[in-house]
Amino acid sequence: MVYQIIKNYPRFRVFLDSLIITILILIIGFFIGYYIEYLRTNSIVENYKNFEISALDLKLQNYYYQIMDDASCKQAIEQNFIFADNIYKTGLDLERYENVNELTKDILLEKKRYVLLKTELWLNSILLKKKCNNPFHTVVYVYTQKTDTKKDAEQGAISNVLKKIKEENGNKIILIPIAGDLGLDAVEMQMQIYNVTYFPSVIIDEKIVLKGFQKLEEIEKYVK
Amino acid sequence: MQTITIVYTIMFFFGIYFLLIFLILYSRNRKDIYSYPPADKDYSLSIIIPCYNEEKNIGATIESLLNSDYKNLKKIIIVDDCSKDNSYKIIKEYAKKNPKILAVQTPKNTGNAAGAKNYGVQFVKTELIGFSDSDSFPNPDAISKMIGYFDNPKVAAVTSRVLVKNSKNFLERFQDFDYAVIAWGRKILDFIDSVYVTNGPLSIYRTKVFIDSGCFDEKNLTEDIEITWNLLSKGYKTKMSYSSIVYTIVPDNLKQWVNQRIRWNLGGLQTLNKYKKFCFKGKNAFGYFVLSYVGLAFFLALVGFFLLFRWVFLKIYFYLWTMPFLIKGYNPFEFLKFNFLTSILFIFSTSFLILSLVYYLLILKDTNLKSKGIITIIVYTFIYRPLYIIPLLGAIYRIHKKDLRWYTK
Repeated sequence: MVYQIIKNYPRFRVFLDSLIITILILIIGFFIGYYIEYLRTNSIVENYKNFEISALDLKLQNYYYQIMDDASCKQAIEQNFIFADNIYKTGLDLERYENVNELTKDILLEKKRYVLLKTELWLNSILLKKKCNNPFHTVVYVYTQKTDTKKDAEQGAISNVLKKIKEENGNKIILIPIAGDLGLDAVEMQMQIYNVTYFPSVIIDEKIVLKGFQKLEEIEKYVK
Repeated sequence: MQTITIVYTIMFFFGIYFLLIFLILYSRNRKDIYSYPPADKDYSLSIIIPCYNEEKNIGATIESLLNSDYKNLKKIIIVDDCSKDNSYKIIKEYAKKNPKILAVQTPKNTGNAAGAKNYGVQFVKTELIGFSDSDSFPNPDAISKMIGYFDNPKVAAVTSRVLVKNSKNFLERFQDFDYAVIAWGRKILDFIDSVYVTNGPLSIYRTKVFIDSGCFDEKNLTEDIEITWNLLSKGYKTKMSYSSIVYTIVPDNLKQWVNQRIRWNLGGLQTLNKYKKFCFKGKNAFGYFVLSYVGLAFFLALVGFFLLFRWVFLKIYFYLWTMPFLIKGYNPFEFLKFNFLTSILFIFSTSFLILSLVYYLLILKDTNLKSKGIITIIVYTFIYRPLYIIPLLGAIYRIHKKDLRWYTK
């Protein structure tokens, strides 16, 4: 019947024309959206490959520094900081992408890889601190992936506080945010070692574990 | 894809689809927007004006109709619905001075405009019957530019373009724009025989068809919508003359505006319910387009409201949870940072907004509004239009309470 009406009355063709253009707009929008999300995920994957090489490089440097004297500490710490800062920035991008990506959810897999890389960075930093007489602080922010509104608010507040501390004490702190409940054994082992029973928590220099939201001054007290 | 993304996508699909219908129709018919057919015949015409407590405006309404350049306007019948003010006295004085004017009064207050209008029908002896509101003022050439449409025997009703007379405060100014938007959209729908309202301020009907169709439905709160759907469902055509301008007085405060719009929504829903059986039936655009378009407009407005409500609720709920951290000295502005990244919904909403902007710019081009800037469009889109939900929810509440009284004045 609809076909008959459009055939007999050409002015009603507008319904069909509009439908075709609407579908075209949505299809084009869908593909552009998918492509942008794909590019984002791809950039994370690309970055990861580079980080993987940097991590391996750092690990080898560490072996070297442990065998050799303390004179090379400065260079090692510098490399560690560059790596930590880059991985932290990419981590922030990853969080932002994760919130807006509607179509490609492969990003979770990338997140797991990053968490492992960050755990490796943490362990590397521990070794470096031991070797070089604690020249910097490690602040490990452990959060949960399974959030509700309350958790979102708490984690949002604490990650902003930590961001500010990092901005103010850039060369003294290595900030490592880690999702603690992605089912990764290496991470869960660390949580057990430091007795992290609540998300979010902040582990400072592998000695102090602060549960939940803390004031800026409270955390700064341990890293000054 | 998340469920909420799918819901948003469906919303954008219909939003873009309907906008495109209007834009394509405009591009194909833009030269004919202002045109109207010249009349082969001088049809005799009577105009009925229902009047209730309109002592301030009724005189000016009568004057503007007396100034009409249409020569065969035989009678102006003013039906006083037992006003409590001096309306009837004023009407009778006009009637004494001018034999064209007939002043009548209903035996008792009918409680709605339809009752007074139907009461006046018994005094009509002309081929055409017109209706105007007692606070509306047609231009002198408004009627003559509508008459030609009746040369087509299928045309049962012709309506005019309503503009706002009082546009001083914020609400009035945006109603001014709103009426221009409504009128433009209605004219565009005229090109596919889908004029679904023959408005109260000035509409003309073929008398025989009007009476045979049962006149106005007095139980319906928007008798002008109901009669139009009644005529469309019988296979008649309803037309709109964009060059026929009538000015009307609009509510100057939010309370009156909400009451008026609740009535419009209630009447719209009543009409939709009454004619739903015609959906996807018949051989004209009524069953296939008008019904689904109006029905979807209500449905999408509600879904849009719930999406907005959900967003606001989640934001507030989130901020409530942040309170303990604010007390501990956390800067609240940190929570207001916006994550601006392109996503599929961003692309859909941008497409929708661009099409809406084109739509409104075309309307501004075809109107003589005082404020024609982009700011008007932005404020109209993001502040005035969302207010539509208040009367819609009010209407749903009143349906739930079975309260179908006429609240205006």
